[in-house]
Amino acid sequence: MNAVTGDGAESPEGGPPGNVALAVDGLSVAYGNVVAVHDATFTVTEGDACAITGPNGNGKSSILMGVTGMVRRHGEVTIFGAPAKNGDVRWAARHGLTLVPERRQLYPDLSAADNIILGCYTWTKSIGKARRSDSYGRAVDLFPELKPHLKQAAGTLSGGQQQMVAIARGLAANPKILAVDEPCLGLAEVIAKRVYDVLAQIHAAGTTLIVVEEAPRRALTLCNRRVEVRNGMAANSSPGSAA
Amino acid sequence: MKFGNLVIAGIVTGSIYAMFAVCVAVWYRVSNILNLAVGDFAMVGALSVDNLYRVKGLPLPVAIITTLVVVAAFAYLYDQVVLRLAQDGKRPIEGIVVTFFFTFALSFFIDGVAKMLFGSDVHAAPALWNGASLTLGSLNFVRAGILVLACAVIIGGAFWLYIRFTLGGKALEASGENSVGARIVGIDTRQYRRLIFIATAVIAAVFGIVESPITGYTYLSGATISLTGFIAAAYGGFRKPGRALLAGLFIGVLEALLGGYVSAQYGDTVMYAILAALILAWPRGLGFESAVSG
Repeated sequence: MNAVTGDGAESPEGGPPGNVALAVDGLSVAYGNVVAVHDATFTVTEGDACAITGPNGNGKSSILMGVTGMVRRHGEVTIFGAPAKNGDVRWAARHGLTLVPERRQLYPDLSAADNIILGCYTWTKSIGKARRSDSYGRAVDLFPELKPHLKQAAGTLSGGQQQMVAIARGLAANPKILAVDEPCLGLAEVIAKRVYDVLAQIHAAGTTLIVVEEAPRRALTLCNRRVEVRNGMAANSSPGSAA
Repeated sequence: MKFGNLVIAGIVTGSIYAMFAVCVAVWYRVSNILNLAVGDFAMVGALSVDNLYRVKGLPLPVAIITTLVVVAAFAYLYDQVVLRLAQDGKRPIEGIVVTFFFTFALSFFIDGVAKMLFGSDVHAAPALWNGASLTLGSLNFVRAGILVLACAVIIGGAFWLYIRFTLGGKALEASGENSVGARIVGIDTRQYRRLIFIATAVIAAVFGIVESPITGYTYLSGATISLTGFIAAAYGGFRKPGRALLAGLFIGVLEALLGGYVSAQYGDTVMYAILAALILAWPRGLGFESAVSG
């Protein structure tokens, strides 16, 4: 169905040669017989904020699922120079790539604080270490509006609060690259703006960002790079300008 | 004080049902498999200790430790061979076959092996704490019963502390609540499937060893215990260990009271009628809708 080719243009415009944070080469993801992504090739430079845009159902999320190892893939993925193990989320997280998934995927009966601290599970099994860690502290501090709700079951929070918990959980994993999938799906405009403000803060603090968005307009207020996905094919575009 | 003594006896058996129900519910949340062999591990614990101690003449501590090690090793192998092939392969089997069949088959398998090794007579592990029942006023406390309760409190308490205060425990809960969300933070759900299954087998064996001096076991005793634990776990849709625990205690007490006041012979029949009536009268409150819809 998704007949596809990959346009493997390297970092455009010959920009400053930063470290390659993530290199994806010939990535394909299939669910049974349905091919969601075919032969996608792109790179993300350290410090980039990269938007992956395109209509729904075109394989944007599947790219992230394949890259982070949530689903098995074909093709090469390299994270900070190390070839990523296929289907191993923990490996990707330990090497700096963490996913904040579509629809958040929280644990509804656990408290917001427990949801966030489980992000630390990628690098420790000690709850004491997790609680004392900078990454957990930073994740909680980034969302002052969550403070009064930390003991509340995550399933009872509002959609915006849940999205913040999901982002905080991602940060608790101490990522160098944070991949955020449709962060504003179903959120009111004010909340969506707040989510983007936080993402900008995270980016400003030095974390490389990958944001999957259906609507490129919002994503491009933040992002300097764009990967456009059509029918499961990914193509690099020039920085920011392609809106 | 017949009523009081019946309630005490009921709480003792109920605590076993409760522990087994919790094990079944916790494991189902993690693995989507119902453990129908939990009672058979209890039976094996009791009969194996009896056999090693009485027939083979091993010292009691050695008999107990050997039994528990063998049970744990067997559970590990079963997970590695059967469950791993069923669930972790490239084409995992889903649905009713995996949910029921493999542990159901396991139950029959264990029963068959037990019959071969231990015969078909009633046996029990030797009492761990000898002496007459303790009395408090007109209430009687069988010593083995006190041990059963102590085991339930210690094991249950340890599990609660694990869930409450360790990251591993929270990860276990998380993998029960949302397996996709659990994978995102690198939780290996399969590891918990294996861990809980082995723990369940060992815990069941411990209860079988401690409790068997009260009732005595044959190679067929496991199925009845499994069934009751299974029903207790069903109250709460196999997803709420807390409710499974209460249901286990309730069923134990109900069973004892019916046996004492109504009929020793038909007590179980009446009990299942009452349990069925409760489900029909109150399906949503008892969590049976979620059991059906998964």
